[in-house]
Amino acid sequence: MNPTLLQEDRAVHRPLPQPDTISTRARRNRAARHAAGRVLLYLALVTLAAAILLPFVWMLSASLKTDQDVFSVPVRWIPDGFHWNNFTDIWSQIPLLTYVGNSLFLSVVITLLQVLTGSFAAYGFAKVKFPGRDALFLGYIATIAVPWQAYMVPQYILMQKLGLVDTRTSLVLLQAFGAFGVFLMRQYYLTIPDELGEAARLDGLTEYGIWARVVLPLSKPALAGLALLTFVNTWNDYMGPFIYLTSNDLWTIQIGLKSFVGMYDAQYAMIMAGSVISVVPILVIFLLGQRYFVRGVATSGMK
Amino acid sequence: MTTGTVSSAHRADAAASVAARRRKRRGVLVGWSFVLPNFLGFAAFTLVPLLGALLVSFTDWNSYSPPNWVGLANFRRLWQDDNFHTALANTCWYAAGHIPLTLAASLGLAVLLNQKLRGAGILRTAFFFPYVTSLVAVAVVWNMLFSPDVGPINQLLHGFGVANPPRWTSSTDWAMPALVIASVWRDMGYYMVLYLAGLQAVPAELYEAARVDGAGPWQRFWHITVPALRPTTFFVVVMLTISSFKVFDLVQIMTEGGPGRSTLVLSQLIFREGITRGRFGYASAISLALFLICMVITAIQFQAQRRSER
Amino acid sequence: MTRNPGRTTSLLAAAVALLSVAGCSSAGSGASTDGKTTIKIAVWNYASTPEFKALIDGFEATHPDIQVEPVDILADKYPDKLTTMLAGGDTTDVLTMKNVIDYSRYASRGQLAPLTDYVAQLDRPSYKNLTAYDINGEYYALPYRNDFWVLFYNKAMTGNADLSHLTWSGFSSLAKQLTSGDGANKVYGTYLHTWRSVEQALAAAQTDGNLLGGDYGFFKKQYELALDLQKSGAALPYSTATSQKVTYDSQLTTHKAATVPMGTWWAAALLAEKAKGTNDVDWGMAPVPQTTDGGKTTTFGSPTAFAINKKARHADAAKQFVQWASGPEGAAAIAKIGIVPSYSDSTIMKAFFSVPGMPNDELSRKAMQPDTVVLEMPVSERSSDVDQILTEEHQLVMSGQKSVDQGIQEMNKRVTNEVK
Repeated sequence: MNPTLLQEDRAVHRPLPQPDTISTRARRNRAARHAAGRVLLYLALVTLAAAILLPFVWMLSASLKTDQDVFSVPVRWIPDGFHWNNFTDIWSQIPLLTYVGNSLFLSVVITLLQVLTGSFAAYGFAKVKFPGRDALFLGYIATIAVPWQAYMVPQYILMQKLGLVDTRTSLVLLQAFGAFGVFLMRQYYLTIPDELGEAARLDGLTEYGIWARVVLPLSKPALAGLALLTFVNTWNDYMGPFIYLTSNDLWTIQIGLKSFVGMYDAQYAMIMAGSVISVVPILVIFLLGQRYFVRGVATSGMK
Repeated sequence: MTTGTVSSAHRADAAASVAARRRKRRGVLVGWSFVLPNFLGFAAFTLVPLLGALLVSFTDWNSYSPPNWVGLANFRRLWQDDNFHTALANTCWYAAGHIPLTLAASLGLAVLLNQKLRGAGILRTAFFFPYVTSLVAVAVVWNMLFSPDVGPINQLLHGFGVANPPRWTSSTDWAMPALVIASVWRDMGYYMVLYLAGLQAVPAELYEAARVDGAGPWQRFWHITVPALRPTTFFVVVMLTISSFKVFDLVQIMTEGGPGRSTLVLSQLIFREGITRGRFGYASAISLALFLICMVITAIQFQAQRRSER
Repeated sequence: MTRNPGRTTSLLAAAVALLSVAGCSSAGSGASTDGKTTIKIAVWNYASTPEFKALIDGFEATHPDIQVEPVDILADKYPDKLTTMLAGGDTTDVLTMKNVIDYSRYASRGQLAPLTDYVAQLDRPSYKNLTAYDINGEYYALPYRNDFWVLFYNKAMTGNADLSHLTWSGFSSLAKQLTSGDGANKVYGTYLHTWRSVEQALAAAQTDGNLLGGDYGFFKKQYELALDLQKSGAALPYSTATSQKVTYDSQLTTHKAATVPMGTWWAAALLAEKAKGTNDVDWGMAPVPQTTDGGKTTTFGSPTAFAINKKARHADAAKQFVQWASGPEGAAAIAKIGIVPSYSDSTIMKAFFSVPGMPNDELSRKAMQPDTVVLEMPVSERSSDVDQILTEEHQLVMSGQKSVDQGIQEMNKRVTNEVK
């Protein structure tokens, strides 16, 4: 990590007034060092990113092989022949479009509900003082600490009693009200100064008004981060949909991919082709959505 | 504790005390009205089955026949079960490596990639990618990199003059470090996103002022960035702690707990005892133990954070 | 920003509307239509496991009043989902039992309906491995397929080597002889898959060893053989196979290994690949190598069975299905697609060998008629725990972390102390 470059952009916008005693040569030196540092940083980051993407490259390469060639010893990075037909065959081998639609539905609904109820509840935990608040909050976090494997069966029995097994509703109900969103948003609200709320209260806003008009607009980075992570987790979830959804027309893309795993062996080329396809929506969302959690509006509101 | 200070401050004035009580009651109502929409869904579909599962730990439930109350028998069994001891030790070992390394890597990445760099968007996406890459691909490539005889990592170590490099996933001693490295690689992008969001709340004015005071980059990082990120760090540390103790998927796919039992972790044991073998009572007892460990650590972190908030 | 509350309300409304749509689109139950009884049967990977469709079609053709609806569950974690469903009181009528360990678990929890009366009327010798389902004199499932282990080989690579009476030492020298090349061109004499059964179940079957007994000295020879093959380079090293997740199919079909001991289920998969044009191997089957040159063939196998859910909605119709599928007619239906049925007589074997592409040379026929097929793992409440310990120690022995003797000692100690 190169600390010279921390908070770089701000320095560029607003150069500090330099005392007259600093000579121009020293300043030029500094600029040169600066440029060199920048190049080094780039090199380091790009190398690191390339290394980071290695498994993804393998996934791409495997998706263009035949099933037999996927696991070769030694590893072959460039396929013998490019089997582009894996990407067309997969649509006819399984109803991938239906699965993508189902995954999209679940991810969007669960993300919406999680972000909405999570950010709402978080305000109660971060900005309203009431007795028992901290204990309740600790209880919320506590549930994250119990592995799902432990209560998966009781939860299923409950859903069966409610007649919700094999519906998408069951998954929405299970995953939309998690403690994760509440916790994340509460932590972010803590960084918003209480004075902002006080001022709004003096202006006659109710607590709900403060949440909607002051706090929520300031929390765009956290909301975007929460939405992204919830979406990705729902999109990639396998065990939940597998246990709850039996009818083929409700299956998600992750179940579809696992359907290439047989009792004794698996069609790995198909699995990898499907994985590549399933990553594309996330790639798009990340590229489009990241400006919200990097170029936040928070700082401007905190004068 | 707020109750005590509020009422004592207004003991003299009865009318004010009534008003304060009304305000407090309103606070309760307002507070709960915020929490309730989420809490209802959470209580019905997570809390209730979860409490049910914890009760099961005092029974011999097999998921089908009516359970019999067995008192502390399952916990006595925990005490003697060699598999539990092994899994507990392995899980702690994993957590000890995974938590600090992921924390450092994700914070470092976030600070670096929060700048206006050309192509930073692409880089950020690249670092997030391990989290969405198929686990099978992750396992295959890391296993290949770690391959004891022909893998690039050991070839590199040979190049540096290491005569007997570790046998990584084929060795009982080195399989866990190999898992830690792969998991840090996988998770750092995830927590980087949280840190990036947290960094947006750090007022630029603070850096400005520090710069005027002549603080260097390291000082600005330690004295402004780190304190301002404290709530985010609390979140990241708690989530990291819990997810480290609950680790399942990556271990299952990369080593399946092997070789031998060298990477067997608690969640695998819970899954195996409960879902696979139908000993739900015992599986719940293990879960309860895991839960208590997480809660003790979280409570300590919570206290520490509250102290620093004041 | 002032319009934010309005926007959030409309988002909420949209979410609620979506939810109600989701609620409506839930699947209906399999109630009877036009006087027919519809039974549900839990199966895995319906689309890619043709035996289920063959059985269902065959049954429906002969039982016009019963309709069979598959409940499709993925093979990956099939028993876990079945356990969860049954815990919730599921009423699926017929349940496919993936292996005998799972079977004993469901049966001992009282989740399966007894079939003992029916079993008493059967011509029992024709039903291979039926006794595996005997739990204290009661039967809760009937096997419909019965896979056992043979030696698959690549005809082009083994040439004119005689595989008909192989002993293990003969197998070992043949494998070394067939090994050649190095690097990317390396060709192995054999491929021993990473499962513990390759060494352990074969040793138990051929030396009459007890896999639940707590004394595993009988593994020794088999392990020494496997480790020697690995050391001499005639078999892919175990650590490489596990870390690269090598599939046994690729070893034979990409001409990497000349011989592969494997279960007979593989035959149907190899035929399907050939039909699709994804492999060009001319393969055959030989009996697995034996400890002595006595002429008798002993191997191990594992049956797959159908059971009836105790909470089945249509228990009688379900019973008819299970009886049909496990009997001669069901056997004929799956033998036709290259699957080894549990029920076996000469007509069934004929049907099996007339599948297009199935090798029907004399050696393959001999391989398909072993003298003794021992159950892969004896059925007991202890099976699953013992299985776990044996798997863990197997990994340590094969990856060279423990010597054979140390490994066997540890198995003895752990099984005796840990499994009660």
